[in-house]
Amino acid sequence: MHMSRLSRSEPFLIVTFGVLSFFILILLIPIASIFLFFKPSIAEKVFMGQELAGEVRDALITTLEASLISTLILTVLGIPSAYYLARKEFRGKSAIEGFLDVPLAVPHTVAGIMVLTGFGRRGLLGPLTATIGLRICDSFWGIVAAMLFVSSPLMIDTVKAGFYSINPMLEAVSRSLGASAMDTFFKITLPLAWKSIVAGVILSWARALSEVGSILVVAYFPKTINILILEFLNEFGLPYAVALAVPYLLLTLALFIVLRFFVGQRFSLY
Amino acid sequence: MIEIMNLKTSLGSFTLEIEHLKVEKGEYFVILGPSGVGKTILINVIAGIIVPERGRIYVDGKDITRFPPEKRNIAIVPQDYALFPHMNVYENIAYGLRLRKLPEKIIRKKVLELAKSLEIEKILNRKPSSLSGGEKQRVAMARALAVDPKVILLDEPLASLDPKLRMRARNLIKKLHDRLKFTAIHVTHNIVDAVVLSKRIGYMEEGKLVFIGTVDDFIETKYAMPYINEIEEVVKRIK
Repeated sequence: MHMSRLSRSEPFLIVTFGVLSFFILILLIPIASIFLFFKPSIAEKVFMGQELAGEVRDALITTLEASLISTLILTVLGIPSAYYLARKEFRGKSAIEGFLDVPLAVPHTVAGIMVLTGFGRRGLLGPLTATIGLRICDSFWGIVAAMLFVSSPLMIDTVKAGFYSINPMLEAVSRSLGASAMDTFFKITLPLAWKSIVAGVILSWARALSEVGSILVVAYFPKTINILILEFLNEFGLPYAVALAVPYLLLTLALFIVLRFFVGQRFSLY
Repeated sequence: MIEIMNLKTSLGSFTLEIEHLKVEKGEYFVILGPSGVGKTILINVIAGIIVPERGRIYVDGKDITRFPPEKRNIAIVPQDYALFPHMNVYENIAYGLRLRKLPEKIIRKKVLELAKSLEIEKILNRKPSSLSGGEKQRVAMARALAVDPKVILLDEPLASLDPKLRMRARNLIKKLHDRLKFTAIHVTHNIVDAVVLSKRIGYMEEGKLVFIGTVDDFIETKYAMPYINEIEEVVKRIK
């Protein structure tokens, strides 16, 4: 990259560097300050104390379980859907692709209302969800549904981009050597798109873990960790919210770093 | 033996129309033509990657027009070679054999044999990304030949090689064909490929095969005009 070294004194580059520094500062201040407000004594009360610890543990488990299940469902549905979209040209394709991105544009409270009008007790498919014993309003599966709704575009779009980046001739050669379309998918396409699939999983999982707006509407109970953070802020004030937020932040960051590291190690070989 | 009759395929504003083409068993048939005349599309139709609008393709007398690619036993060496990047050279060559669920011992024997004839036995453990153009081309050839295809389709297999390497690779293909007698259709814009590799050639223009015959006959046609200099060059070199 000696190009950038040559033009280091270029005034325009200096200006962009200034902007970048400012940008980093804006992001760094809140991220760093949350740690300054963190008080171990309060955290001890929150995580060990008799009054709060049980509720915190339950919320943490609910959040992790719901986000993992929603991500798992999305992976199973997302991979074949993305493959079809990446490999097939058909009339109305761009309309369908636009439709699949709708959850990105919908305000999250509205997304929550949509989940209720679709699958809630009084919703369009309410009678059906009731007969199979699936409760949405104020239930674990309501949380899963809300998470799934808001994070689905991230899964589809990321995996689709991965499939697009694979030379279709590789699949054609595999077929000509005797592999069926399904064999080819599992032996060629999937291994080559693996990085994008893991990226899709990470992004949609991160999205699910951070979701609060639609969950507030669909299922305040059982409480998820984000709702508990809000509740702590309202009832006990900032120090308690921070005490709960920081460990949650570290936990999620650690999960993503480990995953990213794993992906980088295992699949950057070619 | 492969026979194509009344084939028609349209892609956008481009139309490929092949009235009749018959390539005998064991023949190495080169289709010559400038770029953009539909040579790659023809290869893709024969391989089953593109389904034609009408027409018939027979292999050894059997109508395979509607067969999916995996049921045709027609192997392909694409222009960019399309080696599987997540497999090493050995795994690339063994791919088709493993699909046939052959015992690993037999697969190994076959891969090593081919690797020896194509002079790639020293790179069997390497990943495609670390290979040179010439090596990639030979691996793609080995991978296609491994499955004993009824027909092997070669799409400009020598185009990305520099002239010296190109000559070596061409001679290697010729030697290999003399020994193994596989049936091949090789499309190229390079007249030397045609002259060296095949007795009978086809010439394509705007989606149609406008000439089929011997190289000598071809030189007499108007289509040979742009190639005259190159042909004289080859004749001189052969003498």
